[in-house]
Amino acid sequence: MKLLIVIPAYNEEESLPAVIADLRAVCPQYDYLVVNDGSTDTTAALCRKNGYNLLDLSANLGLAGAFQAGLLYAARNGFDAALQFDADGQHLAKYVEPLVQELEKGYDIVIGSRYVTVPKPITLRMFGSFLISFAMRFATGHKICDPTSGMRIFGRKMIEIFAQNLNYPPEPDTISYLLHCGAKVHEVQVEVAPRLAGKSYLTFFRSARYMLTTSISILLIQWFRKNDLETGREISDV
Amino acid sequence: MFETEAIRVILVVGSLCTAVFMLQRIRAAKVQIRDSIFWLVFSALLLVLSIFPGIASWASRQLGFMAPINFVYLFIIFLLVIKLFSTTVRISQMDARLQQLTQRLALAEKEREDTAAPEEGTREEQTSPPKPG
Repeated sequence: MKLLIVIPAYNEEESLPAVIADLRAVCPQYDYLVVNDGSTDTTAALCRKNGYNLLDLSANLGLAGAFQAGLLYAARNGFDAALQFDADGQHLAKYVEPLVQELEKGYDIVIGSRYVTVPKPITLRMFGSFLISFAMRFATGHKICDPTSGMRIFGRKMIEIFAQNLNYPPEPDTISYLLHCGAKVHEVQVEVAPRLAGKSYLTFFRSARYMLTTSISILLIQWFRKNDLETGREISDV
Repeated sequence: MFETEAIRVILVVGSLCTAVFMLQRIRAAKVQIRDSIFWLVFSALLLVLSIFPGIASWASRQLGFMAPINFVYLFIIFLLVIKLFSTTVRISQMDARLQQLTQRLALAEKEREDTAAPEEGTREEQTSPPKPG
């Protein structure tokens, strides 16, 4: 399987070398692409110096825009699958292969989940995760244990849809909408490491806004969206 | 209670139209979901205010307004001003980013042209003063 590991990076100069080293050591058979999301630090220069495969966005687009740029690259270069992978060191290369193997069983999306076999801790931080899981269960009938996990692998059909359309950020509401449309989604147990450097962008206000947007999107908006899987638009020129 | 039932009916119709219009835009993939959230919440709030007029009556008594409808007006104006403010900030940022993008694209293209055809204009370059930047 021709897999592209997409690594959106915003100001990740401290952690990126270790992440790439891990990937190169553990799964050298797969291609990767660092998408520099208009970082204000030396992320781009570091990638060029070390010879990383780099897509350098000249403005900051946010995670959705950066990830979509990576998927455009994957779509244009004929990749069969694309894996969303964090640049901050939380995701581990040893879990890439299990996700690939699961995808090959015929799924559209496989999520690297922290809570399939491990119970979800009951903390304030996980409260949001519980709510989103519940909303998805309610809206789609499917149980996704770790909807906010940022480690996900997408098959070819998903690559084309994500690369082509508006409103496909790599977020739980998109997964929920795709489940609703009939996509096959599965979860595989993974572990995540604590981030190597930098700090999470999730402040209280941002978390609250994120929860509101995600809930409204899952519980209300997805019923009104067109089913992009069924309409099967011809995707010729990505 | 609002002065008339008519104003409540208008509010209900207005809020439903807002929500339907937004959902249609999403369906046509013409608006990003995160941008539609404000309008969906806005229409939900209007709907609540018109279905439960007691809220406006209570709030206007607390704030000392002459009539409940004044609270409704003020509330709508307040939300719209907030939205206008954040939209202005966002347009400004977009403007700056568009400038930056256009400049960088032009510079990148120039760099490519210069490396593709180095013999052109080399003689001029030798006599001309060094390029700024």
